[in-house]
Amino acid sequence: MSIGTMFGDIIKSLFKKPATEKYPFERKAEPERLRSKLHWEPEKCTGCMMCVKDCPANALELEVIDRAKKQFVMRYYIDRCTFCDQCVRSCRFDCLHLSNDEWELASLGAEPMTITYGREEDIQFLLDKKANPDNPGGHPECN
Amino acid sequence: MSLTLPSLVSILVFPAGMFLILLGMVYEYVDRKLVARYQNRFGPRWFQPLADMFKLLAKEEIIPDGVNKALFIFLPILGVTAALTSALYTPMLGFAPAFSFRGDLILVVYMLSVLTICLGLAGANTVDRFSLVGATRTLTQLFSYEAPFMLTLLGPALAAGTLQISQINAYAQDTWWMILTQPIGFLVALIGLMGKLELPPFDAPEAETEIVSGALTEYSGRGLALFRIGKNVELVIGLTLISAFYLGGLANPLEFILKTLGLLLVIALLQSLFARLRIDQTVGLWWRIGAILALVQILILVVSRLFF
Amino acid sequence: MQEKVEKFIVPIGPQHPALKEPGHFEFSVDGEEVTGATIRLGFVHRGIEKMTESRTWIQNLYMLERVCGICSHVHGIAYTLGVEKLAGVTVPPRAQAIRTIVLELERIQSHMLWLGVAAHEGGFDTLFMYSWRDRETVMDLFELISGNRVQHSVNLVGGVKYDITAEQKQKILDGVSYLEGRLQYYEKIITTDDTFLGRTRNVGKMTKEEATLLGAVGPTARASGVERDVRVESPYASYPDHPVNIVLDEGGDLTSRFIVRIRELFESIRVIREILTNLPESELTVRVPRRIPAGEVISRVEAPRGELFYYIKSAGGENPYRIKIRTPSLCNWGTVSSVAIGHKLADMPMLLVGIDPCFSCNDRLVTVRQETGSQTMYWEDLRKYGVEYYQ
Repeated sequence: MSIGTMFGDIIKSLFKKPATEKYPFERKAEPERLRSKLHWEPEKCTGCMMCVKDCPANALELEVIDRAKKQFVMRYYIDRCTFCDQCVRSCRFDCLHLSNDEWELASLGAEPMTITYGREEDIQFLLDKKANPDNPGGHPECN
Repeated sequence: MSLTLPSLVSILVFPAGMFLILLGMVYEYVDRKLVARYQNRFGPRWFQPLADMFKLLAKEEIIPDGVNKALFIFLPILGVTAALTSALYTPMLGFAPAFSFRGDLILVVYMLSVLTICLGLAGANTVDRFSLVGATRTLTQLFSYEAPFMLTLLGPALAAGTLQISQINAYAQDTWWMILTQPIGFLVALIGLMGKLELPPFDAPEAETEIVSGALTEYSGRGLALFRIGKNVELVIGLTLISAFYLGGLANPLEFILKTLGLLLVIALLQSLFARLRIDQTVGLWWRIGAILALVQILILVVSRLFF
Repeated sequence: MQEKVEKFIVPIGPQHPALKEPGHFEFSVDGEEVTGATIRLGFVHRGIEKMTESRTWIQNLYMLERVCGICSHVHGIAYTLGVEKLAGVTVPPRAQAIRTIVLELERIQSHMLWLGVAAHEGGFDTLFMYSWRDRETVMDLFELISGNRVQHSVNLVGGVKYDITAEQKQKILDGVSYLEGRLQYYEKIITTDDTFLGRTRNVGKMTKEEATLLGAVGPTARASGVERDVRVESPYASYPDHPVNIVLDEGGDLTSRFIVRIRELFESIRVIREILTNLPESELTVRVPRRIPAGEVISRVEAPRGELFYYIKSAGGENPYRIKIRTPSLCNWGTVSSVAIGHKLADMPMLLVGIDPCFSCNDRLVTVRQETGSQTMYWEDLRKYGVEYYQ
C-alpha cells in the first residue's frame, strides 16, 4: 500500500538537467557504424552489376559507356535508398562504402536526390549524348 | 451601483479582464513548465500559451450538425464571463478586492461552478458520443467534489466569523497560518482544487486516451480559446483563494506571487505523481474520504470554538 | 411501460489518441459499462506477402524486416532461419550468438516501449517519460552494434554483418546493468503504486482455460499461467546452449501481464550476460547459393509479443514461391473482445494495450473458413463485390 512511489525520482529531476537533446543546437557524436550516404569509386568497378541486382529498393543504376575501358557512370537515388548496406556486401571489388556522417540529407526539391558518380569525362560524355541532336530519342543506354 | 469609470477599468483591465487573462496564461506556462521539469524534460517556452491563444483565435470555427447553434456559441462566453466576474471579489495580486459585500464567498464559489456547468452543457449539446461521455463525467465529478470543497472553504470562514472574502483575508493575516491550525482542511482544499480544475489524477472528464477530449471535443477556434481562457482564469482564482485563506492572507503583490507560485509547485508535483483515476474511483474517493475528512475538520473547528 | 435499451456505440479508431496505429473498435456502452465489442482490422495492409514473390531472396530479407518497426529483427531471424534450413547450410556459432544477443536486446526495447505506452493509456505520464528515457540506453546499444536504432539489418542470409568487439562488449554489459537497476525500480512501482494498481488490478481477468481456448500467445498467455514459449519448446539460434527459464504468473489480469513482461526482461538480461561472457570464436558468415533449392519450411520464433510463424516455399528459383507470415498479435485479439464485456469504458484502452497490439504486423491475409457456405472468390468477383459494397 503506497502512494506516490515515483516521488524520489521526480524531486531529483527538478534539479537535474533535462534529458532532452537540443537538436540542432547540440548534436551527439554519430555512432561509428552509422550507415548514411553511399560513395562509389569508379576505379575498381568492373561493371558486374551485383549491387544493382541486390538493392532491395532499386536505388542504383549503372550506365555502361565502354565496358572494355571500364568507363561507367552510376546514378544513386538517395530518396529510394534504405541504407541497408547490402550493396556494400555484394560488391566483390570493394568499390562502395557508406559514409557515417552525412545523414542530414533532407532537401527542398527533387534535384539533390539523384547523385551521379563517375569520372568527369564520363559524366560529360553522357550529358553531351543527351543533348546531341543526332540521337533523337535522347535516351542514354540503360543496362 | 452605477457604471463609473473606475468600475469599468476594474472590469475590463484590472483585476478582471485583460490582466487576468494574461496572468492566467503566465500561470499555465509555469504549470506546464513545472510538470515538464518533474518529468525530466524541457517544457514549453514562455510564449507558448499566448501563441496557442492566437492560433486558436485565427482558426475557423466549425459548428457541427445537430447542435443548438445559439447555445454552442453562447456557452463559452458565459463560462468565461462567470470566471472573470468572480475575480472582482478576490484579493487579486494582493490588493483589496474591487467590490466586496457580505457573503461574497458563496457567490465566488458559485461562479466557479458555473464554468464547470457550462463545460458539461457544452458537451451535452452535441451528438458526438465522446462529448456526451465527457459531459456525463464532468457533471458527475462536479457533484462529487463540490461539497467537500465548499466545506473546506467554509472552515476559515468559520474561524474568521464572516463570509466576506476581504475580511477573511484580513483575519488570515493577523493570526497563525491556517495551514497549521486546519491541516486536514488544507489537504482536502488542495485536492478539491485539482478536481475542480480537472488536473491529473482527476482528469477523467477530459481523458485524452479514452474519450479524445471529453466535453470539448467538438469545439475549435474561438469557442475552444474561450474555454481554455476560462480554465486558466479558474486556476488563478483557485490558487488565490486557497493561499489567501490557508497561507496567511495576501497583503501585497510580493506575497501573492510567492504564495501562489509555491502552491503551484505543490500542485504540479501532485499532478505528476499519480495515474489517472477512473470516474467511479474518483466519486468513491470523494464521497468516502473527502467528505468525511471535511466534516471532521468542521467538527473540530466548531468544538474548539465552543470550548476555547 | 416498455423499457428502452439504448444502444450507445462508442467508436475507438481508426483515428484516436488511444491507438498508435489504425484499427476500428466499436464498444456498445450503457452508461460507463461495456456491453459488447467488435473489432475491425485491416487498415495497414500493404500487400507485403505478394511483394515477396517478385523479389530475390536477398532483397526479401530487407523487405520483411520492415513488416514491423519494433520487432524488425525477429522477422529477419525467422526468415533467415527458414531459408538457411532450405539451403541446408549451418550458420557459424559466433553469428548465432550475435543474433541471439540482438534478439534479447530487442525484447528489452519492445517491452520498455510497451511499458511507457501502457502507462500513458492509464494516465500515468510520468512513468511513460521515464521508461522511454531509459529505453534510450538500449537504442544507444543498437547504434553501437549496427548503426541504426530500429531496423538494424544485422542479418545476412547465412550469418551476420557486424562483429562485437571487446570494447563494445563492455559497453553492452554496462548498459544492461544500468537497465537492470531501473527495471527493478519500475517493477516496484507497478506492483505497489496504489493509483496504478487501481487501474490494472482485476481488469481483463482471463483464466487459464479461457486463454488456451482463445489461442492466446506470448506474455498475454503466460500471464494466465499457460506455458507457451517457443524459446523453451523448440529452441533456435543460441538458445539450446543458453536456455531461457519461462516466466509465468497465475493472476490473469493486467497486473500479471505487467509483471510477466518485466520479469521476462530480467531473464533476457541474464541470457545476454551469459552469451557475452562466452562468445565463441568463428567467422561470421557462410556462403549461401543464390538459388535456394526447392522445398517448403516452417520457422517459428518467439517475438516480444508471442509466437511468430513463417511458412516459406521455394520452387528452386531466385525468388520465393510463397511466404506466409502469421504474427502473434493476430492471435490475441480474440481475448479482447471476449473479456471486454462487463468492464468500464475507461478500462478499454488499457485492455487494448495489455495484449501489446502491433497493428502493422497484423494485417496479413486471413482465411476464414466456415463449415458450410464458404465461397472461393476469383479476382473478378472480388472486384464486383467491392464496387457493390461501396454503393
